[in-house]
Amino acid sequence: MNRQQSTDGVSVLGGAETAIALPDPRSIAEMALNVVERALEDAELRWSDIDAVVTASVDLFDGLTASSIAVTEVVGAVMKPETRIAADGLAAAIQAVHQIAAGAYDTVLVVAHGKASMAHHWNLTSWAMDPIFLQPLGVDFLTVAGLQADLIAGSDSSIIRRWAELAAHRKRTARGGIGESFTIDEVLESPVIAAPIRVGMCAPLGDGACAVVLGAGGGETTGGRAVIAGTGHDLDSHHPGDRDLTEWAGLRRACLRAYDMAGITDPAVAFAVAEPSCLFPHEEALFIDAAGVGEQTVLSPDGGLFAGTAPAISGLGRLLRATKAVKGNSGHRALAHGTWGPAGQGQAVAVVEAR
Amino acid sequence: MILEGSIRLPFSYAAGVVGSRFLVALRDEQVILGGRCSDCGTVSCPARSMCPECGTHVDDLVEVGPGGTVEAWTEMPGKPAFGLIRLDGADTALIHHLLSGEGKWQPNTRVTARFAPERVGDINDIEGFEEERGAS
Ligand SMILES: [Zn+2]
Repeated sequence: MNRQQSTDGVSVLGGAETAIALPDPRSIAEMALNVVERALEDAELRWSDIDAVVTASVDLFDGLTASSIAVTEVVGAVMKPETRIAADGLAAAIQAVHQIAAGAYDTVLVVAHGKASMAHHWNLTSWAMDPIFLQPLGVDFLTVAGLQADLIAGSDSSIIRRWAELAAHRKRTARGGIGESFTIDEVLESPVIAAPIRVGMCAPLGDGACAVVLGAGGGETTGGRAVIAGTGHDLDSHHPGDRDLTEWAGLRRACLRAYDMAGITDPAVAFAVAEPSCLFPHEEALFIDAAGVGEQTVLSPDGGLFAGTAPAISGLGRLLRATKAVKGNSGHRALAHGTWGPAGQGQAVAVVEAR
Repeated sequence: MILEGSIRLPFSYAAGVVGSRFLVALRDEQVILGGRCSDCGTVSCPARSMCPECGTHVDDLVEVGPGGTVEAWTEMPGKPAFGLIRLDGADTALIHHLLSGEGKWQPNTRVTARFAPERVGDINDIEGFEEERGAS
């Protein structure tokens, strides 16, 4: 079997996500239960149809170790094979795709959950930095995002206004979600959180959960199949200073793997829609460059993460949106993206193709 | 109901063989060490046991800095400014504090390390980086 055939038959059978809230008063388990029940309903399946479960969560963000233990029962993983990924939810979906493609299981449930309301999220990320050389300086993910944005901006002062325009545009397109809407001037006058990044340039973080059911085949489901035609992921060096922060090289490598698997030779014309996980406007330029998507690809039609997002769920939510974007339009493709760690250290992509 | 809690627990982190040599050099000699890869030649800083470029085991340590150039800057409320600093002789950049001046640091500004008077073998034995004297 060649690589192109190996994932040919993995379909998105159904999925659900909670509306992002800040806070969501439900417990993590209740939020997970909600999306699992709705995802099974969407897929027209029962608990007994699920062969295995992959969950995505980050202990640090949940304030307890082995945070998957909080949801073991509600994801139906008791007495079933469970795999837990401490990264973005799209990496969990890729793990599930591999399990199915390897022939281990037919139907796998993927669940991601995160609650930014539990602590000051950015302060918490300081504890995900190297404890010898970075954490003692007070470096967190936001510090690194600020350094990356400043490095990209260089001496170009007009770029900050373009980022403000993009942030305001994404937020306007999002229609609803959490977080205030800003005009461009309001973005430029909003408080600095990590110069040159201001509050209005950061997608709002809240509480959320997302579940997706993946399966071999997919039969004649209503509206046609959405097949995961290619996947790729990559982990770059943890120390931001070891990397060239003017690009997302890890994403470029992840995309090449996914495109190779999906038989895509020209990404500039391959996708109707791309759903990047970009928290800041400067990341969108990094995404476009690394993924090689062209002008005809619609980026974040629902405002992307600016509608609100939660730790660990972003990429899985993007997969769901990418699926909805192409399903029913045979031959159309969409690109879903997830990232985790400081300044895009971890990267994951999935090519969704309507059949 | 939301139950309030906090996690506060003393913890001991091993700096590693090479990382310890880096920290001891800061403490005892006020010297910044980089690790030179015997395979690809990359000089990484701070010095660590593995080359970030190619994964080769590193045990050849060389002095880098204390001068360097600022590649990027950021400022966050309630914290000293941060810089992405390329030290002279190093191929990778170091994140540390920028001490002098206010507001945006222009790319390529020359800086030099200022060491703490009391040093304990910690990355904060470098207080931060200040604009090089005589630099325009
Ligand atoms: Zn090397």
